[in-house]
Amino acid sequence: MSRVHKRRHIGSWIVLVLCAVFFAVPIIALARFSFQKVPVVKLGWSTLFDKWTWDGLLTGLRDPKFQPAMWYSVRLVIATVVLSTVILLPTALWVHLRIPKARGAIEMLTLLPYVVPPITLAAGALGAFRDNSPALFRSEYFLVPFYVVMAMPFSFRAIDAGLRAIDLRTLVDASRSLGAGWTTTMFKVLIPNLRVALISSSFLTTTIVLGEFTLAFLVFKPTLPVFLQDFQMHEARGGSALALLLLIASGVLLGLITLLLRKRGGKADSASPIF
Amino acid sequence: MASALQFAQVRKTFGTTVALESLVLDLVPGELVSLLGPSGCGKTTALRIAAGFEVPDSGSITLGEQDITNRPAHKRNMGMVFQSYSLFPNLTVAENVAFGLRVRRLAATQRANRVGEMLERVQLSSKADQYPHQLSGGQQQRVALARALAVQPEVLLLDEPLSALDAKVRVALRDEIRRVQTELGTTTLFVTHDQEEALAISDRVGVMSSGRLEQVGTPTEIYRAPANSFVARFVGSMNELPAVRTSAGQVDVGGVVIEVGPSSGGSGGSSGASLRLLIRPEDVSLDVVDAAGTLSGSVVSQVFAGAATLVKVRLDTLDVLVTATVRGNEPRWLTGDRAGVRLDGRQAIQEQVDDDGLTDPEAVLLA
Repeated sequence: MSRVHKRRHIGSWIVLVLCAVFFAVPIIALARFSFQKVPVVKLGWSTLFDKWTWDGLLTGLRDPKFQPAMWYSVRLVIATVVLSTVILLPTALWVHLRIPKARGAIEMLTLLPYVVPPITLAAGALGAFRDNSPALFRSEYFLVPFYVVMAMPFSFRAIDAGLRAIDLRTLVDASRSLGAGWTTTMFKVLIPNLRVALISSSFLTTTIVLGEFTLAFLVFKPTLPVFLQDFQMHEARGGSALALLLLIASGVLLGLITLLLRKRGGKADSASPIF
Repeated sequence: MASALQFAQVRKTFGTTVALESLVLDLVPGELVSLLGPSGCGKTTALRIAAGFEVPDSGSITLGEQDITNRPAHKRNMGMVFQSYSLFPNLTVAENVAFGLRVRRLAATQRANRVGEMLERVQLSSKADQYPHQLSGGQQQRVALARALAVQPEVLLLDEPLSALDAKVRVALRDEIRRVQTELGTTTLFVTHDQEEALAISDRVGVMSSGRLEQVGTPTEIYRAPANSFVARFVGSMNELPAVRTSAGQVDVGGVVIEVGPSSGGSGGSSGASLRLLIRPEDVSLDVVDAAGTLSGSVVSQVFAGAATLVKVRLDTLDVLVTATVRGNEPRWLTGDRAGVRLDGRQAIQEQVDDDGLTDPEAVLLA
């Protein structure tokens, strides 16, 4: 290896280590705060191995409001994933097959949720639905359409990347030339070949829903993040422990997607440039 | 005999681009017809209209006795092999071949028999349980052929199925397609831009240009009696030489008078008319320089083409390059050799040109 290459190699490692430290330090700090029964002012090198305990986490898990909040969020995740897929998959297919020139515009449209902050979305939702559609507003699934919109920048991209990774038109034409209608083509040809893209889309939607706080809080829905915020007010360590657990769960989900993509590397439905 | 597939005055436009202009083509049962032409000539559009993937602006498509112009693709009972690999990646070879049969709800035993038979036909029985990504490109296209034929289609559509393959595999698969097609007697429409492919396996060839079908005929007719200058130039290679008509059946090329056969328009045009003579390389031979009835020139290159060598000669008097075919048993010619070029005009195409040497737009081929 030449000297220049060696220097570059070392430089890359330094950047990587700095990034790892940047992300790891707050998480380690959160973990120590959550799982060590040591006053915050005394958290240092000398107390690194002192008084580690699951008490905070167990308090959170045993709180009577935890399970309802968790299952409520799980129901929201399932409903959001289903609605997202039902809306976005046919839309993306339609765009790819019928109006490929509009792909750029549609992609731009799916980015709009980035522009609208959740607090604005909440204000709009409150104004539009609280008085005009109280039944809808009170429904426990009121948040689902908003979560579909908020997850759209990620979920649409995952599906779009999956569609770009396969020879969509040829597969559809081949299936139809063999006598298959649209339903058979969708379920026997497209969905099996978009499996990884759909899983990616679902996992990303899941992490968005599990992490969303502002909208749920402002429209008074007792989701897991809202419970966590409330719980943390009177049980700081337990709340942090639960938040860390949620963070790890999201990380595991993303890790699973990456593993899946690596496993399927080189096959038709593999590539997903969002990772 | 009734047509198996018929295009009647089919027209198709995409925006302002005319992809097909009044296409008329009949395929008789059991024959293999190729549509040959350069990129963008409309051949694939014609195939996609036959398959039901595009709807014509006007005209009709008839399958046997039935008008299928507006029938959806999945109800046409046609098999199709695509240019790009189109096997379903999530299914094994056997499952791919069985796909159309499963859609048609064929009983499991019959399905298994048919899959076995088709894989045997394309000599891939041993690959039945493999996935497409485990096969070579040639094998994938053979499976695609088996899959298309398994449903016993009324018409088989082939959309440049060999273009992604390397030369040797292409020739082998080309012959295999023809063998299987002949064995099963399936009417086939084959789209290609490769003239060698089209001429080698077709019963008839349709040459297309700018959305128009310029000529339909047997490979020999297309090659030896092209209907117009486009077909003459597109199929095979042509030497183009300026000439002047001297009398009926004779033209002057660079001071040498040669005979032109009656079939190539010997009776057309008046004496003194300027012409462009199109002569195939195999109608040009080399002799010793200054031999009677030859045009003298110098050899500038030779291209070895197996059974024959193509020798390019620059003519002294006309300053044009002429390609001659020299067979393996004839003397070798080297760059710089002086040679006499003998033209056999009996099969030549004559094109009228105006005084500036441009092809007269009003002129019809004299052939």
